[in-house]
Amino acid sequence: MIAQLADSGLGRRYASARDLLARTPFWARVLVVLAVLGLAVLGYGDDYVTSVAVTAATYGMLGLGLNIVVGYAGLLDLGYAAFFAIGAYTSALLMTQAHWNFFTTLPFAVLFTGTAGAILGYPTLRLRSDYLAIVTLGFGEMTRISFNNWDYAGGPNGILQIPWPNLFGFQLDTQADFFGVSLFLLAIAMIFAQHLDHSRLGRGWVAIREDEFAAESVGVPSLRLKLFAYVMGGMWGGLAGAFFATRIGAIDPTSFTFQLSVLVLILIVLGGVGSLPGVLLGAVVVVGLPEVLRQFADQRLLIFAVLLVLMMLVRPQGLWPRIRRKPKPFYGLEEEESGELSATILREHQVQVEERVRRHAAAGRQVAQQGEPLLEVRGLVQRFGGLRAVDDVSFVVRRGEIFSMIGPNGAGKTTVFNCITGVQRPRRGTILFDGRSIVGLRPHVIVSRGVGRTFQGIRLFRNMAVFENVMVGLYPRHRTMTWQAMLHTPGERRDELRTLQEARRWLHFVGLEEVAGRLATELSYADQRRVEIGRALAAHPHLVLFDEPAAGMNPTEKLELVGLIRRIRDLGITVVLIDHDMSLVMRVSDRIAVLDQGRLIALGPAAQVQQDPAVIEAYLGREEDELSMAEPRGA
Amino acid sequence: MALFEVRDLHVSYGNIEALKGISLEADPGDVVAILGGNGAGKTTTLRTISGLLRPRSGSITFAGRSLPGLPAHVIVGMGLSHVPEGRRIFNVLTVEENLNLGAYLIRSRRAQIRERKSEVYKLFPRLEERRGQLAGTLSGGEQQMLAIGRALMADPRVMMLDEPSLGLSPILARSVLRTVREIANRGTAVLLVEQNARQALAIADRAYVIEVGRIVLEGTAAALAEDERVQRAYLGGFEAVSA
Amino acid sequence: MGPFFQYTVIGLTVGSFYALVALGYTIVYGIIRLINFAQGDLSMVGAFLGWTLLVSLGFQHLPLYVALIAAFVIPMLGTAVVNLGILQFAYRPLLRRSLLAILITALGMSLFLQNLAELIWGPAINAYPPSLLPASGFFVGPVHLTYVQIALVLVSLLLMGGLLLFVQRTTVGTAMRALAVDHDAARLMGINVDAVIRLAFVLGAVLAAASGVMLGVYYVQIQFTMGFLLGLRAFTAAVLGGIGNIPGAMAGGMLIGLLEAYTTGYLSGKWEDVIVFGVLITVLVVKPTGLFGERVAERM
Repeated sequence: MIAQLADSGLGRRYASARDLLARTPFWARVLVVLAVLGLAVLGYGDDYVTSVAVTAATYGMLGLGLNIVVGYAGLLDLGYAAFFAIGAYTSALLMTQAHWNFFTTLPFAVLFTGTAGAILGYPTLRLRSDYLAIVTLGFGEMTRISFNNWDYAGGPNGILQIPWPNLFGFQLDTQADFFGVSLFLLAIAMIFAQHLDHSRLGRGWVAIREDEFAAESVGVPSLRLKLFAYVMGGMWGGLAGAFFATRIGAIDPTSFTFQLSVLVLILIVLGGVGSLPGVLLGAVVVVGLPEVLRQFADQRLLIFAVLLVLMMLVRPQGLWPRIRRKPKPFYGLEEEESGELSATILREHQVQVEERVRRHAAAGRQVAQQGEPLLEVRGLVQRFGGLRAVDDVSFVVRRGEIFSMIGPNGAGKTTVFNCITGVQRPRRGTILFDGRSIVGLRPHVIVSRGVGRTFQGIRLFRNMAVFENVMVGLYPRHRTMTWQAMLHTPGERRDELRTLQEARRWLHFVGLEEVAGRLATELSYADQRRVEIGRALAAHPHLVLFDEPAAGMNPTEKLELVGLIRRIRDLGITVVLIDHDMSLVMRVSDRIAVLDQGRLIALGPAAQVQQDPAVIEAYLGREEDELSMAEPRGA
Repeated sequence: MALFEVRDLHVSYGNIEALKGISLEADPGDVVAILGGNGAGKTTTLRTISGLLRPRSGSITFAGRSLPGLPAHVIVGMGLSHVPEGRRIFNVLTVEENLNLGAYLIRSRRAQIRERKSEVYKLFPRLEERRGQLAGTLSGGEQQMLAIGRALMADPRVMMLDEPSLGLSPILARSVLRTVREIANRGTAVLLVEQNARQALAIADRAYVIEVGRIVLEGTAAALAEDERVQRAYLGGFEAVSA
Repeated sequence: MGPFFQYTVIGLTVGSFYALVALGYTIVYGIIRLINFAQGDLSMVGAFLGWTLLVSLGFQHLPLYVALIAAFVIPMLGTAVVNLGILQFAYRPLLRRSLLAILITALGMSLFLQNLAELIWGPAINAYPPSLLPASGFFVGPVHLTYVQIALVLVSLLLMGGLLLFVQRTTVGTAMRALAVDHDAARLMGINVDAVIRLAFVLGAVLAAASGVMLGVYYVQIQFTMGFLLGLRAFTAAVLGGIGNIPGAMAGGMLIGLLEAYTTGYLSGKWEDVIVFGVLITVLVVKPTGLFGERVAERM
């Protein structure tokens, strides 16, 4: 019957209406919706209702700001009221003490708030999320108490008689005026937020939320992005604070309590974390519900607390969840012949290589030529507690070769990788890449130097499509600024298209162009591995480290993997790999290093290593063991 | 029927099938070696038997009772001890405290605990020397001894060891494995997962070789020790390598 | 020099209360990596349950020993039930989900307890019977000690000592310490991990309830909001001592109590919280493992 309905005239018109809706640009939809809401409220004409609407809009602004911090970047900020306070007080003080116009105070309110956010955020955003929550809570309280104790700001009485804003002689003094301003601000906030969400920055945030470690290791500067989110969200709160100050006309510390921070958090959880319409809905609920249910107004916090817990248990995505668009991978790209794709990749890569040589030469550095040392590890030592995981390991990887590390379980191979990629800091030893030391650098910096990697046990961004995963890998290579992303400038659009194109090329290179739009988790293990490789290659590395790439693959897939590794080498990329499949390693490697119990026990071409008695002993044990160990049962 | 039997075990991690139908068995006094390369599924097998993982299908019977679905601490109570890979001793507790925890299930029977502890100390005199030391300060070999001693405190009928020779020098590994043989000789059934095939086969009665989640070889230890295929499984054959 | 010792006495008294609550945070975090935001509010619930017994139900008129024992034991039972309820209904279902989800839920539980208390006992300040215990004291040099102070500190020390004994000397206590290292290895010892987690929640609740009743006796005034700041200070104490580190939490509690006393004494009560939060932020940024090293489960 549903099918009949869908086929009928009504059904078809519904479908085409939805199509139309999907195709109108976001900013148009926002403006229309807000205009309709605005007219409805203003048309109703009741001053009290309008003022409630302004309060809801203010909460909506706060919610949009906190949404960037919690929803996009995944940081639990429990002290958001602090930003609200700093913005409000800054604007209020400038208006009452220095007699500035409201609009002139705005940039300063935003600036001060942003600075406070940067100062607090820089040392604390590296903390794990539960500690961060408490720290932000503390910051919120400290801010409120400080304003409470600061006599210049009026102490517990706060600041009174804050003048109304004056826009080129036009005084804004009615609720309707404020409502109009608030709607305008909401519209801007939503449009900017949406643009950020779909930009390279937004992708970076999702990556950090999904798997910060993996994101950092493929070149996303996680600390910087978290700081961005925190500061941007904070600045928006400051703006809302300034608006609040002038609208109410009087502010005091009791407006900026922990209760407020929690209420804003509740509203975005209710509405749907990360969802823009959800934030608006949440604001309406949080402000409107106590108005509608007057008899329960006193217990509103109790009710909201219960709702919060229930939501987390039963419907964590919120009332109006963030919509996950079905990704259309290469929408807007021109078709490229597959033969052309391969040639383009080769050419692009060559260009990259030459550019690198030029940059290094300009800085007076030599770049390793084919066959020369690219990666030099000397005297590497790593300890965990009392255990020597890596014991004085030294080797050189030459440009253009396929170099493997093998060894029994626990030999220290992944630890060596971790030291090279900056995940760990070795106890001792030097690691030189292209002649420069990379010890102690953060992983994303090492990626930008030209070292890529995949992980033992695949670490893809599970809720992203295949091509989006590869696009994250392209993060370090494109340089749009945040403001360009917010405004969705043509420059940014071009850049995104270019990123998309590159992602397609790399997917073609690893043979997964067909499944580009699928969710990463839908793919087979072997295909997921190939996506991970594509992601690592996207940053145009000169050296890639593959940690057990063949794990979990069947013989056919392993054969394909060998082919892929050889094609990577043909591009001019040096490959270092760890694996346990001996026949694969023997077949594909130029040289092999054997580790056992943290020490390098053999290094050389495959055939030589295979015959090495030390290697055989490490894997199978000594011959004499068989004789000396034999003890009859029951003895 | 064997004291301990696994039939057609299938285990998956998400949609990756780690074990594709494993069957094995052990009797009191047996040392059964489980060999295979990395990622073959040896650790997964032990973890499923001891209840840390749930199998998708298949049966595990111990003294007539079915194990799948039982929580790990209950399985231990039935007399099956698991010495996990990497030893996993409690490094902030002393040697003595670690051993006491091994006897957690009989914690009220002081005399019995004391008795078993002295047996363990007789087997590993080095542990007695260090009884008051924090377990994290012990050497690798001593930690391995502690892990085995801890498992013995439960007086198990079946003991499973996951790579006890990991990180140990050949001499130490030999000594540890010899002790394992002795434990079996006293009546415990032992399942021994090892990468060090030669040493393992030297003390084992029977052995299975696992590869990519399946048993590819099984037989007496003596037979497998001669088998060329075992060597090949570890070092990838003798074919010439092309660049 | 006189004031210094006086402040010290005050600081140690209050610090012992903070230590009890800090222990609740630290034990739970050490085992399951969860900040039980409700911990401070459990103390408040304990205080109010004690108040209900003593004032509403008139226990204050019973013989002193009976009144006191009931005023401790029954709130302990009550808060234990509450905390177990929180574990069962709010935390357990979410232990497998994202950290963000658990934190938000923990926060929600804390809010819930606070506002429920406001609903039940009202928003106004309630008072413990001020004449329950003799208010007299004596002088030791320039320092004035009241019998109440000494009694409360003794009770705190007794409780802390009891906990320490339990955790160091009994097998179950050792099992709890083992859980703060490796859950799977603990299971392989035959330890019922879920049961021990429940035990940790009970212990945390019992200690919190005791501290709540003692705060009621000491300060006389209690209010449904008291759990918030108490909880934050206690958490700071736990982090200062090294989260998961039981002796550390005790030391941390004392230190925070002293810090608070000195700040109020030498500076002003207004800056107390700012200083305490400042300490928290500094410790987390400079030495997040705390003064004595953290003890959190590496493998869960």
